Amino acid sequence: MDSKERQLAIAPISTESLTQNTKAVYYIRSVSSTIFGVAAGILGLESYIGFLFYFAGTTYISLLMFLVLAKGKPSEYFTSSSYVWTGNAFTGLTSFVLTWTMFYGLVDA
Amino acid sequence: MAAAPDLVLDSSLRDWVLFPILLVMILVGILRHYVTQLLQTTPKQLDLLTIREQQALSRGASLRGNGKFIPQSSFLSRKLYLTQAFKDGIFLKDQEAFKNKDEPKQPANPLAEPGGMDQMANMLKGNMVMIVPQTLLMSWINFFFSGFILMKLPFPLTIRFKSILQSGVMTRDLDVRWVSSISWYFLCLFGLRSVYDIILGSNNSASGGMDMGGMNMAAGGIPGMQPGQDVYKLHLSEAENIELTSHEYLLEDIEDRLLIKYDMY
Repeated sequence: MDSKERQLAIAPISTESLTQNTKAVYYIRSVSSTIFGVAAGILGLESYIGFLFYFAGTTYISLLMFLVLAKGKPSEYFTSSSYVWTGNAFTGLTSFVLTWTMFYGLVDA
Repeated sequence: MAAAPDLVLDSSLRDWVLFPILLVMILVGILRHYVTQLLQTTPKQLDLLTIREQQALSRGASLRGNGKFIPQSSFLSRKLYLTQAFKDGIFLKDQEAFKNKDEPKQPANPLAEPGGMDQMANMLKGNMVMIVPQTLLMSWINFFFSGFILMKLPFPLTIRFKSILQSGVMTRDLDVRWVSSISWYFLCLFGLRSVYDIILGSNNSASGGMDMGGMNMAAGGIPGMQPGQDVYKLHLSEAENIELTSHEYLLEDIEDRLLIKYDMY
């Protein structure tokens, strides 16, 4: 057993907590992307600008998660510290398109 | 909007097509969630010897995984006992068949095992719950709401999508951004997942079948136990694994570490 493996055995990673954190990120992503879709639809954004809006919003949410939820230290909550930025970044895209289309149509009509 | 003239959509299209489809899709998702929950069968009660046969394997695995928390002597005695017991087959369900092993044993049929049958029925049910509402909804929308433009997409698409998204609309030159109700159905199908997450909480089964991993985990009992497999071989390989496990007592210098941690050294 080298020292890193030994350290991991003394302070093991709790899989329950890891699952809980991952689930929290997923939930935040899907809810926020729905709200971004509503916003984009009401603003009447079209084509590239709408998708750029989604990515800007997702990055902003990632920043909030990084600063507020993970307190600047995401490696304490996830096995890979980039999970806060990239994890589940695309799961909300379909929901975003749905609400975007719907509110775009509602405002337009 | 350079190519096509602007269209003005009647607001009753919105009231009587857009909202009903959305509402029905959401309700069907919720219904699917509860039907899936109702259809989940509780695992069948196994008799004592079968459970012992299965649990012996996890006993070996937990010794391998957690052996570092017990002293060397305790680990060794457990190791000796378990390897010997696995080799003698004393955890096996069918002792008679193990003793006269010489007779040719016909391979067990996976369908004959009760566990395998359950698993298959569960998978079938899951597929049915997913496919039947989708077929019904699609034909419902095709029957009632085809042949007119429902909405305008906020992003442009290539001309290839025209035949799918504008099915039933007999115009050649209309911009692909104007789509009929079937594409609204597809948008709902893929996009409602987060709505279900908000309504039913995460880990729901409303969106149906896209995450099959969880279902399979629930159906199969112990991972690595396929029905119709020779259990004695599994036990033998577990014995070998235990023999290969090296032991290091993790609490060896625990006093020193504790004092260092709380800065009392």
